[in-house]
Amino acid sequence: MNEPVLRIKNLHKTYPNGVHALKGVSFDVKKGEFLVIIGLSGSGKSTLLRCINRLHDPTSGEILFQGEDSAKLKTPNQIRTLRNRIGMIFQHFNLIPRHTVLGNVLVGKLGHTSTIRSLLGLFSDQDKADSLRYLKLVGIADKTHIRADQLSGGQQQRVAIARALTQNPEVLLADEPVASLDPATCHVVMDYLRKVNQELGITVICNLHFLSLVRQYATRVIALKGGEVVYEGDPNNIDEAWFEKIYGEGAKEVHIN
Amino acid sequence: MSGPILRRSVLDGISFATFVSAILTIIVHPTREQMLNLPIVAGIFLISFLVGCLVSQILNSMGIKTLGQNLFEPDYEKAKAEAKAWYRTFWGWHLFLFILVLFVVGINKTKFSVIELLDQDGFAGASRLFKGLFSPNWSILPTAVYNIIETVFMAFLATMFAIPVAFILSFMSAKNVVMGRPVSYAIYFVLKAILNLTRSIEALVWAIIFSVWVGIGPFAGMLALMIHSIASLTKQYAEMVENVSDGPIEGVRSCGANKLQTIWFAIVPQVILPYISFTVYRWDINVRMATIIGLVGGGGIGTMLIQYQGQAMWSEVGTIIFVIAIVVWAMDLASSYIREALK
Repeated sequence: MNEPVLRIKNLHKTYPNGVHALKGVSFDVKKGEFLVIIGLSGSGKSTLLRCINRLHDPTSGEILFQGEDSAKLKTPNQIRTLRNRIGMIFQHFNLIPRHTVLGNVLVGKLGHTSTIRSLLGLFSDQDKADSLRYLKLVGIADKTHIRADQLSGGQQQRVAIARALTQNPEVLLADEPVASLDPATCHVVMDYLRKVNQELGITVICNLHFLSLVRQYATRVIALKGGEVVYEGDPNNIDEAWFEKIYGEGAKEVHIN
Repeated sequence: MSGPILRRSVLDGISFATFVSAILTIIVHPTREQMLNLPIVAGIFLISFLVGCLVSQILNSMGIKTLGQNLFEPDYEKAKAEAKAWYRTFWGWHLFLFILVLFVVGINKTKFSVIELLDQDGFAGASRLFKGLFSPNWSILPTAVYNIIETVFMAFLATMFAIPVAFILSFMSAKNVVMGRPVSYAIYFVLKAILNLTRSIEALVWAIIFSVWVGIGPFAGMLALMIHSIASLTKQYAEMVENVSDGPIEGVRSCGANKLQTIWFAIVPQVILPYISFTVYRWDINVRMATIIGLVGGGGIGTMLIQYQGQAMWSEVGTIIFVIAIVVWAMDLASSYIREALK
């Protein structure tokens, strides 16, 4: 539980339009933890996650993933290999709407599959068995052959979790996974993330908005403000003073149950 | 010079030059010889164009909005403008006068004449023609049907050949696909230029070119339609690709997919239905175009039409027009039903 799977050192990201989204972010992620990142919209949370799997290219700094600096990776091949080792789920699920649930989950195997085979849809039986296993794990195996856009938001997010798990990731990134779900579904999805974290031992890094969820699920929390880390530690130690510091003067905590 | 200012200057310059030229023509009343003196005419137009650009610049710097400024200024500038009735604005009168001048020149140029339209002899000729058209000669119906089948298949084959080519080219000419890779970006620009050039040459002209190349007949017509279809479909397909939502692309990329896999899994499912819809519509357009192309030797019903028209055999022409109308109507109906179902 103590060796860091990910060490981020002095990470900077400036977008081409001049926005300085990350201003020297440093922190460690320990193996097997459920790390939650909180902060206002625009505080750099999404940018941070996308730098970790190189959907965005960091401007400077180090991202040591299992000891290797993934910020330095240059060729598309190396970056794809990195992404394959890191699963990600998104606020808007980012599934392929016209494909079936199984078709969407198999996308997680694209990194292992040759271009020709994947374009022809020739996934191995092992791949399909894996996909079904993870669909079962997130409790949605009965929807295997239904089109993804026929599902509710919560079900779509569970398909997205299964897709990420099919990659056999060492780390799972979750970018505001429950922000477009209703409060009841929200807990279902968070419970599956915890299950993934505890039963499969996959390290989870999750962006969240609601502090009540953070206290319930996080083993550790990091707060970003204006692209800098302003808090790091136990979620239960975030009192009102810290809350105002992170979210600004006059902010009020909202509870969801 | 930035985009909006350049566009403003061109529009204001052209409208001013048109205005000056029209007034000059009325005052000077040049002879045909004088009108054909291109260097002088072009010179006058160019000078008044430049004066127009200058006038536009002066007016706008004085805070008087010209038509070009009003049309091309950025949205945040537009938002500042107070609402006024058009006749209380400069650009309103600018637009009004511009259209008025164009209208007058147009009437003059097309030799618009109510007298010709109501002329006795001409009217008699037209009524003879209509009488022929409305009493079709059904004995040539089998030949007409035979020929229109040729036309429909000319259009079908042209569309079929164009689909795979346009499909591949569309990704290479979509901005969001080529972004961030210098080599792809270079290919994108060259491809765009070639496609724009191809598209700006009418299918009719392509038919003339190919009828010299492969000989008069349906093959020349098919090739002409194919070239034109490739260029048009690629543009339409590429616009679809540029409008896909980024979510699925991000999702697929996050799994470690390569470029081809990303296109196939994230973009293609989003564009496939509009693709089919556009393609059906293109076939429909191609059937109509194939008829016209036949007029210049592209084979099919068009070639038959031009033969009978040349001999003023209006009853036979009437039969052919009837057959064309039926087929075009049926294609139009079928394609609209198919496209409706695909939505």
